[in-house]
Amino acid sequence: MFNTQQLLKALPKDSVIIGDENTRPFECDGLSVYRQKPLAVVLPTNLDQVRKVLSLCKQHQTPVVTRGAGTGLSGGALPLENSVVLGLSKLNKIKTIDPEQQLAIVEPGVRNIAISEAVSQYGLYYAPDPSSQIACTIGGNVAENSGGVHCLKYGLTVHNVIAVKMLTLDGEELILNRNEDGLGLLALMNGSEGLLGIITEITVKLTPKPERVQLVLAGFDHVRDCANAVANIIEAGIIPSGLEMMDKFAIEAAEDYAKAGYPDDAQALLLCELDGDDQSVKAELEQVLNILSTASTLKVSKNEQERLSLWQGRKSAFPAVGRLSPDYYCMDGTIPKRYLADVLEKISQLSKHYGLRVANVFHAGDGNLHPLILYDANTPGELEKTEAFGTEILKLCVDVGGAITGEHGVGIEKLNAMCHQFSADELDVFHQIKAVFDPASLLNPGKAVPTLHRCAELGSMHVHHGELPHPDLERF
Amino acid sequence: MNIEQIQQQVIDADQLQIVGNKSHLKFTSSPTLEMSLYSGLIGYHPEELVMTAKSGTRIKDIESILGHKGQTLPFVVHDHENATIGGAYALGSPELRDAVLGVKIIDGQGRLLNFGGQVMKNVAGYDVARLLVGSKGKLAVICEISFRVLPKAYAIHSTSSAELITPTPSAIRDYIEHGLKNVFDPNGVFV
Repeated sequence: MFNTQQLLKALPKDSVIIGDENTRPFECDGLSVYRQKPLAVVLPTNLDQVRKVLSLCKQHQTPVVTRGAGTGLSGGALPLENSVVLGLSKLNKIKTIDPEQQLAIVEPGVRNIAISEAVSQYGLYYAPDPSSQIACTIGGNVAENSGGVHCLKYGLTVHNVIAVKMLTLDGEELILNRNEDGLGLLALMNGSEGLLGIITEITVKLTPKPERVQLVLAGFDHVRDCANAVANIIEAGIIPSGLEMMDKFAIEAAEDYAKAGYPDDAQALLLCELDGDDQSVKAELEQVLNILSTASTLKVSKNEQERLSLWQGRKSAFPAVGRLSPDYYCMDGTIPKRYLADVLEKISQLSKHYGLRVANVFHAGDGNLHPLILYDANTPGELEKTEAFGTEILKLCVDVGGAITGEHGVGIEKLNAMCHQFSADELDVFHQIKAVFDPASLLNPGKAVPTLHRCAELGSMHVHHGELPHPDLERF
Repeated sequence: MNIEQIQQQVIDADQLQIVGNKSHLKFTSSPTLEMSLYSGLIGYHPEELVMTAKSGTRIKDIESILGHKGQTLPFVVHDHENATIGGAYALGSPELRDAVLGVKIIDGQGRLLNFGGQVMKNVAGYDVARLLVGSKGKLAVICEISFRVLPKAYAIHSTSSAELITPTPSAIRDYIEHGLKNVFDPNGVFV
């Protein structure tokens, strides 16, 4: 049996947290409906200490749950009952900044925004910007393959990581590089949710700050017109740096809260941000305004202050919706954009069916929906009803050719939904991949990939060419 | 040739060499699986910036279709004019890997599997679609590939292709690469 005293012996005292009260801050991540206290939390300050923790955990067959800042939204960093939480937030040094080659080498505990702040003096920034960027760590970003508002143009984490160093449970180091010949091991590590190894160093790509950035806001009387505008902008050959959509409920909530000047009579709202050199932004802006000419409201930011204030409503949409309900549940599905209007209509029907309100705020440019389901956890049965509603939304996403998670990860939250997206054979491949990296299954076990048994019990095993729900929706 | 026929060939064979239009291969030894017989578009949605093609489709033909909509592939393939998308995927490049969104594959046991999808953002399950880029036809038959395309104006920046480097050999890397080969092709069918 694992003895926490051994951790205290092997590591400096202030790196080890034990005891019921002390470990409480680590009992959950951003998905706080699930809570579990671990055996111990360790916050190593160097790699040698990380190796010692791994070695002890291996020796005693104790699961290791790696954690960054704990801002994840799918329970990926939820402790297991008999686990040690390996918190990497103290490994927070920026080791190298190379403005010439536009890269930075950082430790996993460096916060996302801290990279952009450190390289700002060179006219550079780190492009992926998950909404938790002031707190979340780059190591966590790699583990989740995090997205954000700007990934339509600048890609996800996987597109912005040049190399990683990782440790296996045995403490062996593996260096993975973007330009290496052979299998895409680096891509595999992105989004692996702490199940394959411990990421100890990351080389990130830096992006030159654009010369000019402008934001267009458009309000529409019909959701379908707004969805069509999204497709038309992309089809016209423009890739905005952000293309965000909000539905009526979200607009009202945001305007009530942030007073950003959003048209609260609109049925849907589009925010389209263009960036680049002076000339290209000017040309694209003209095209976009042309495409959006049927909008009922149209605003263009004239300066940086106006741009930021127009963003304010969107950026505060989650807390704004949060004010209207005791609790809300944030979903994260993706769909091909051409189904935007159809899927929103279905969600609204489901909302009536379940008697739960939904606000839709999402990255329309890459078809990443974030329906917020409003509920009250203190009403018996309402959380269960909310989860059932959420699962139906995710199934709908899969059925039109999308995915059950765009950027939040599977964690513990979407294990059931995984059964809908993948067949037993595909899940089997995932389990075998984990076994290659972690034969003892001690790295964040039970997360990200459901057991075949769980899916069979659920009885919702993936349908191949069989009868699908929502037969009225045209398929890919 | 259809998917079921490819599956049957995999199941029946002791050893099989997967080939496209052989624009890169100098010679072949084992019985070959001719993926050039499995070609054509599955879907193209310019407004989604996404195309899905059978792996035997020639890059030249893909570019020609994309060109009509003012779009292009976000990666360059410096090769023979008959080069296929499947061949380029098997050889691999970082830019091609970036563009891949999903694959339909047949593993060494003849199982038909789907990984990734047709959307930009998808973090459900391990990223097998990008893992197999550069697998040289040794792990699985790549049947269909979904990939991101770009408006021509945006592709200018990504036309320089970086030189691939050979990773420093190590026991742990060997172990993992062998392990992954065993996951997809436990009987060593693909040579």
